[in-house]
Amino acid sequence: MAKVILQPLGDVIERALDPAEARRNASHLAGLEAALDARRDEVRAGWGATYVERVHAKGKLTTWERLEILKDEGSRVFPVGTLVNYGRTFGPEQRTSPGAGVVTAFLRVSGRLTMVIANDNTVASGSWWPLTPEKIERAQEMALRLRLPVIYLIDCSGLYLPEQSHTFPGKTGAGAIFQMNSLLSAAGVPQIAGVFGDCIAGGGYMPIISDVVYMTEQAYMVIAGAALVKGGKSQKITSLDIGGPDVHVHLSNCADHRVPDDAVCLRMIQREVERLPTSAAPYYRRGVEPAPPRFPAAETASLFPVDYRQSYDVKQLLARLLDDGLFREVTPEVGTEMVCGVGRIGGLWAGLIANNPGLTDHPVLRGEKRPGSILYREGIAKISQFTRCCNDDGIPIIWLHDISGFDIGPEAEKQGLLGYGSSLIYTISTNSVPMFTVLLRKASGAGYYAQAGMPYDPVVQLATPISRLAVMEGRTLAIGAFNTKLDDNFEIVAASEEERQKIRQGMEGVESRITADMDPVKAAAQMDTDEVVRMDEIRPYLEVLIEAAYQGYGYRRVKNPRIWSLHDLAVLGEEGR
Amino acid sequence: MFRRLLVANRGEVAARIIRACAELGIETVAVHSLADVESPHLELADRRVCIGPGPASGSYLNMDAILQAAEQTDCQALHPGFGFLAENALFAARVLQHQIAWVGPPPRAIAGMGDKAAARRAMKAAGLATIPGTEGVLADVAAARRAADEVGYPVLLKATAGGGGRGMRRCAGPAELERSFAEASLEAEKAFGNPGLYLEKVLLGARHVEFQVLADRFGAAIHLGERECSVQRRHQKLLEEAPSPALDAAQRNASGCRAAEAAVAIGYASAGTVEFLRDTDGKLHFMEMNTRLQVEHPVTEMISGVDIVQEQIRIAANQPLALRQEEVRLEGHAIEMRINAEDPDNGFKPDPGTVSVFEPPAGEGVRVDTHCRSGYTIPPFYDSMIAKLIVHAPDRAAAIALAECKLDEFRVEGVRTTIPIHRRILAEPDFRAGRYDTLWLERLLAGGEG
Repeated sequence: MAKVILQPLGDVIERALDPAEARRNASHLAGLEAALDARRDEVRAGWGATYVERVHAKGKLTTWERLEILKDEGSRVFPVGTLVNYGRTFGPEQRTSPGAGVVTAFLRVSGRLTMVIANDNTVASGSWWPLTPEKIERAQEMALRLRLPVIYLIDCSGLYLPEQSHTFPGKTGAGAIFQMNSLLSAAGVPQIAGVFGDCIAGGGYMPIISDVVYMTEQAYMVIAGAALVKGGKSQKITSLDIGGPDVHVHLSNCADHRVPDDAVCLRMIQREVERLPTSAAPYYRRGVEPAPPRFPAAETASLFPVDYRQSYDVKQLLARLLDDGLFREVTPEVGTEMVCGVGRIGGLWAGLIANNPGLTDHPVLRGEKRPGSILYREGIAKISQFTRCCNDDGIPIIWLHDISGFDIGPEAEKQGLLGYGSSLIYTISTNSVPMFTVLLRKASGAGYYAQAGMPYDPVVQLATPISRLAVMEGRTLAIGAFNTKLDDNFEIVAASEEERQKIRQGMEGVESRITADMDPVKAAAQMDTDEVVRMDEIRPYLEVLIEAAYQGYGYRRVKNPRIWSLHDLAVLGEEGR
Repeated sequence: MFRRLLVANRGEVAARIIRACAELGIETVAVHSLADVESPHLELADRRVCIGPGPASGSYLNMDAILQAAEQTDCQALHPGFGFLAENALFAARVLQHQIAWVGPPPRAIAGMGDKAAARRAMKAAGLATIPGTEGVLADVAAARRAADEVGYPVLLKATAGGGGRGMRRCAGPAELERSFAEASLEAEKAFGNPGLYLEKVLLGARHVEFQVLADRFGAAIHLGERECSVQRRHQKLLEEAPSPALDAAQRNASGCRAAEAAVAIGYASAGTVEFLRDTDGKLHFMEMNTRLQVEHPVTEMISGVDIVQEQIRIAANQPLALRQEEVRLEGHAIEMRINAEDPDNGFKPDPGTVSVFEPPAGEGVRVDTHCRSGYTIPPFYDSMIAKLIVHAPDRAAAIALAECKLDEFRVEGVRTTIPIHRRILAEPDFRAGRYDTLWLERLLAGGEG
């Protein structure tokens, strides 16, 4: 019977790394992480204290206060999409829209993981900005993929109308939210809505498809509010008269229950979640207790060199991500520029695929080394087959990116890397097992695609403060752009010192612009990545995501390890030797 | 809070509910039969809807007509009052289907407590002592005999679906049990469509003590102390007081908390009354739970300062209880006297007719719940109660003195009433000493020693 024997990975930090370097690395990341924290705090503050007071003056709670009450005691909120619209302003008044005016987060409620979608009532009364619909749809998509119950906390005054052309008509316009409502319902994913205040037009449609809708005494849902209803002024009709709980709970049947206030509404929602099936995660742990990593996740930041071109030992990272640092590497002898295998996170099996950034042995030329973080033929074949096995065995996949791209040059083309790469792309495009992507550092070129980057529908894509997401590095692009002015050693060829100066300035301009574009905050602002996390948050996020992948029963394959296809791979590897 | 509530009742209790709604800012719709067109309580409501002819079966018991009225007036809630459909689980369920909030407990709790034998089992499981007797329905007379031998005579045969004394027989010995069993079973079947009987030991000299509980929809419950309702004739309460002269603070708190916990255990949510028999040793035995507002609720309101009808409505609007048990303060003593249009010289038969003069008393510590006024004609179809006189004073002696005084002030002419009998009760030394049980009034009226 095939067993899965795990081996401990990694070393204590003092042995893994020169202490001086570890300190340097840690302080470099500490600076970046402090900047990230500051930005997240800025988003969390919404439009600030004045707006918090306004919400309180109405006898309501702020969105974040609601989340704090809703979540299980001792659990934390795992937001996604925090930085959407970060740094963008709208209209002549230069309005900001922190978090696109909505909080989307994985939240533990009554013991189950849920996806909470909550309008931020401290940002323009929870109205919808450009990218707000996309952010909501993305959260709905995560829930649909993982069959997580969705909780809507609605407090939304409708589209931010000055920007309506960006939020209304397109493929991902606000209407797509309601299509997602329908698809979630059709897939049997529970949806629970609490309406806490304004719920106008689009906001009005959002809760209706939910299985159960609660309305507080302050809540109203209307296709059009009093301002747009003919005669509204002369008849002294308020929006509450048009679509309050008196109408929707008791007459129209568009909502199910009325509740006096926010606190009771949240209690009711908790009770609804209690009625759902309990998590399947303990069942799929098969008696194994969740365990912390072998070495503290807090040390993760020390592992990454200050210079992004320097390498590190990815197994030291795995030792700080996996339960007890235990890992079973699959075909370690082939394609050593890739590390893949299985381990447990929070007691649940996960398949991990990581780039090995260090120098690795050349498979043919004895004694020769070649740089890592590149997709060569052997590595591509290995991870293609590994993902097929994980897909067949029902093991969720975590991709850890530090990839410069595919190997290039005549050898690579002759070997047919386009074909092997496309085979990998075909595989990850058609896999149905949940995949999660973490952009540890470089995520460049087609390598970003082939390792299940955002366009390949990972359920969630995380980035770190040192992520570099681009087709190519700024330096590389500058060389490409000024190719005709460079010799074989990429040195500038110029007739005069003046011309040389001009070319150098031109190249530096290209490089700095591209490097700025690779800023993970910018990627997150335009939704090219779901969340930027600190290094020590990678493990907690993965714990939640992997548990979420195992929470629901019956919608996807989860095999007992004794019948994993992975064993076949091991047998063929042994036979091959 | 609800904008509009339908009051599915008539008379004094309808007026009481309308008043509570007005204080909560809720509009009211009163429904009425053709016999109640002139009823003064209709003037208190914002709207009125006629739902059928005089006999209750066509009006106040006509579910379709009441639901129709609620729909066409856009009501968000319905209060059933007491009597009529107040403890009808099917009606509660039908109201809820219309997306109208039912101001009462969930239908399942109504049904559960409506089956008296099942209620006994449920409350025993919830930790309340029950009257010695059978657990379930008796299979036959032989089973009844065995059970009676076990608990000891005299015993009481009771209909499991019952109430109001129907299907009930007191049996002093085996011969009487033999005789009464078939008779009681037949009577129960005729009255309730369910012949099932169970048996309880008759607790001689027992008092009727009931606890008012309030439970919200979030598993919280409190009690507002007890009411003493032993002054009865033919199982009909006539005068109630709170607190009971027979309970001390420790027993009140312990038993009240247990009653509240039991309500939570059976999934109760609303105002409810847990009735006990207190035996001569002072032990409380669960009798039944009334899943509605009680006629005698005002005595509790007077000593607790809690408006029970308003609380019912708040609970129905999903509001959690605002009061915690330790915040409940019971102060002073309250007595309620039911003023019925009855002829005491003619076996207390209802005495409908026109009330030519109706002048209720007033003043400090006095409350009169009524829908009556001078010139009001009492319809023959319904209950004979026309008013409730409630007094509240710092202690029991003061309350009795105040009650006597206010009964003297109360002028009702045109019909005979229970005012004279209340005067007589209040004057009795045994009553004044707080020494009475559930049979005391019957003995008094029979000319016995009281």
